[in-house]
Amino acid sequence: MLERRGAGMRHDRHLRHALIDWFPQARVRAARIAVVGAGAVGNEVVKNLALLGAGAIDVFDFDRVELHNLTRAVFLREADVGAPKASALAARAAEVDPAVRVTAVEGDFWDTLPLAALAGYDCAVAAVDNFEARVRLNRMCRIAGVDFVSAGIDSRLASLEAFPFASNPDCACYECHLPESAYQRIAARYSCGGLRRVAAAERLVPTTAITASVAGALAASAALRLGRDAGDGARRVLFDTIGGGASVAALARRAGCAGCGDLGERPRVLAARAAWRERIAAIADDVAVQTSDPLIVGYACARCGDRSRAGQYVLRRARDFDDRIAICAACGEPAVRIDIRDEFTAAELVRLYPDRPPPAKFAIARAGDGALCLDFETDDQRPQQPQRRPE
Amino acid sequence: MANELTQLKLHVRTADQTRRAELALAPDATGAEIIQAAVDNWALPADTDYALVNVTTGKALAPDATLAASGVRPGDELEVQPVLVAGCKSA
Repeated sequence: MLERRGAGMRHDRHLRHALIDWFPQARVRAARIAVVGAGAVGNEVVKNLALLGAGAIDVFDFDRVELHNLTRAVFLREADVGAPKASALAARAAEVDPAVRVTAVEGDFWDTLPLAALAGYDCAVAAVDNFEARVRLNRMCRIAGVDFVSAGIDSRLASLEAFPFASNPDCACYECHLPESAYQRIAARYSCGGLRRVAAAERLVPTTAITASVAGALAASAALRLGRDAGDGARRVLFDTIGGGASVAALARRAGCAGCGDLGERPRVLAARAAWRERIAAIADDVAVQTSDPLIVGYACARCGDRSRAGQYVLRRARDFDDRIAICAACGEPAVRIDIRDEFTAAELVRLYPDRPPPAKFAIARAGDGALCLDFETDDQRPQQPQRRPE
Repeated sequence: MANELTQLKLHVRTADQTRRAELALAPDATGAEIIQAAVDNWALPADTDYALVNVTTGKALAPDATLAASGVRPGDELEVQPVLVAGCKSA
């Protein structure tokens, strides 16, 4: 009886949607969406998805709520200042519709969202403040064959870019039209080719709730593919919230793109954490393999030759360290030569990592007429859940 | 004279349409070169990243693609658009 009443209440809730002949309520109800970034745009994306009745929304963010977020983030309150953004957002968004499952995943999505888990989503939405996270999420979506939506804002404009990788794996990716200056901005966050810069200054982009609201609405619509055909290609929408004008541009795939140029139509993804040696042994020794994360493969002071701390860093992921490790422990000079690479041959990787996979998310091998992706976070091919932080 | 004949007369504008110009550009000019010229001549914010869209055809121009390779025709209108991020702090 209670279930019937619940079902009826749900029907009543979406009664107006049922009057829209093109509105796919059943598909929306079944949708699983990953929203990366719980700031202004992320809040608006989740708000719209929850109101529309999306089935499951997982929110990824490592940051905590600050006072200035409250002028733009619809679900955050003053009492949330200092709390994890993802959890604060998810808790309040869940009140919108009890039938919509909203889950917070605290932490950097790169560390909490395995490729196999991403493959279980219908779409991943990037609502983050930097190019690097967007580039990374775009590549994951392109490999996993999951739709990718990128939403951005400034003080006046709202943008949306949609990449329907699930139905159109050969469409342009986010990087096909990314200007060189964006890569320079990413590079400025690192030194020695992969160490985090301690003094890297983040650019602050002034934004308002108005542009966040428009971008969030556009992104939610694109994530659910409302009114779109399966045959659609990649596109960019730019909306002027003052003038009211909008432009829609088709994005063509670019040969030689850093993001998708080597991937072929859809790379084959193989679970390779437990079966690392077996998987890499199946690749010819001289085949080039690119790891998703730059790895430290050499560490020695160019001034005094000291290598005493090499064991702490060599064979580990470069982004786990900052550029202070370039100061030699023996002579105190910033003279340590750190060899950081993300390009190897299969034979080199086996020699460097004989017993375990490299500490990367995945690696891409260009084999034959396609690409092979070795997933280092997955033991088997079954879909996984995001890796939530232990309480 | 031959050089003039081979040039494309185009309209270029910013996304907020506060700046517009009619330009004659060589077909081998790239999207990145046109963006840089717009940033320099119009004193657009240098800490912003830009993309170029042919609003006449509704197609974006890849940064390294030439006007000719992108199928730009005389009279087309190109818009210099900021490539936006923002939203929250993340990795």
